[in-house]
Amino acid sequence: MRNCSIAVQRYLPHEHAEPFWQHFTVPFDESTSILDALNYIKEELDPSLSFRWSCRMAICGSCGVMVNGIPKLGCKDFLRNYLPRNYLASESTAAVSAAEIRIQPLAHFTVERDLIVDMNEFLVHLEAVKPYLITDAGADETPLEKHAQTLAQTNKQTPAQLAKYKQFANCINCGLCYSACPQFGLNPEFVGPAAIALAQRYNLDSRDQGKAARMPVLNGHNGVWSCTFVGFCSDVCPKHVDPAAAVNQGKVESAKSMLIQMFTGRG
Amino acid sequence: MKTHAKLPSTAKSSRWHGLHLEPIWWSLFSAGGVCFAVFVPAVVLVFAILAPLGFITLDYSQIVSWYADIWGLLFTGAVICLPAFHAAHRIRHGLHDLQIGGGLLSVVICYGAAALLSVAALYGWWQLSG
Repeated sequence: MRNCSIAVQRYLPHEHAEPFWQHFTVPFDESTSILDALNYIKEELDPSLSFRWSCRMAICGSCGVMVNGIPKLGCKDFLRNYLPRNYLASESTAAVSAAEIRIQPLAHFTVERDLIVDMNEFLVHLEAVKPYLITDAGADETPLEKHAQTLAQTNKQTPAQLAKYKQFANCINCGLCYSACPQFGLNPEFVGPAAIALAQRYNLDSRDQGKAARMPVLNGHNGVWSCTFVGFCSDVCPKHVDPAAAVNQGKVESAKSMLIQMFTGRG
Repeated sequence: MKTHAKLPSTAKSSRWHGLHLEPIWWSLFSAGGVCFAVFVPAVVLVFAILAPLGFITLDYSQIVSWYADIWGLLFTGAVICLPAFHAAHRIRHGLHDLQIGGGLLSVVICYGAAALLSVAALYGWWQLSG
């Protein structure tokens, strides 16, 4: 086992007024992920380190952190990616201090403690676009009755209809795209990449009739129009959802929706 | 139980509710982007590379007679007006990204400049075609 230097940005609001860097030396091999390294630190070096994690296989979306300034899923990113290619093979230990990996909490979110951020800032936007199937049937019923009715219905869908939105349905709500988005950094009111991708996912679903309820959120200045097409959201997405494409499709839909509203009075 | 918020039912109040100009700027930006990618490189190739280097010879009077026709109007729109609005939109959002503008003043300067350039180009075509 070789050793690697890792710096973690700590924030302990009850003990220190400001965040500070803590340096660790962690043993690793080709299969050591960033999350493995954090778990090693917590178990062997400093049990006070706090971070979220669960599945270890890029499904739960809870271990998002900044690694050398780029948003990454801790379980899907490996220490070997940050070290010289010949480092593992070489006998020299001099490279340990030369290649230090910096781990920080996700950018643009409020840090609660160490690597734990307030994900509510993202979840309120997700909730705003109503990311669930909405059907016209039973509009006067309570949500519970409506849910029971939806379950009772058979929703048929062809493979072609599924293919229209399938890519956008792969989102795991990890929030990496919000850390990558400079517009969300400038304006926290921006609905943001993942929420717009999810809105587009349901708008494209043949079983859904809730587009009219979603469009007012997307049409506003804080909806699709806050995006200046930087595209970094799609670069960092660990599930290849391509939220930037969803936002651009959303701009076409929003332009159409606003034009229709102007002439008919309904979006 | 609270139900989903619905748009006001009266046509007058809902028709203009929440509308803004951004879709118009973005539509011009999108159309200009296509023109920038498809037509502008061809124009640069013909007028700025092949002709000056002598690979092709251009007959000025022939070009003027084509330009004075509807082709000149299409050329002006596709190579000058729409790319101008594309550039104006990109510059405005660039100013916003750099946090040195992007507000009303940037809107007036950027799209105003694109509009002035477009009007001047269209006036030039009008003079030739008239």
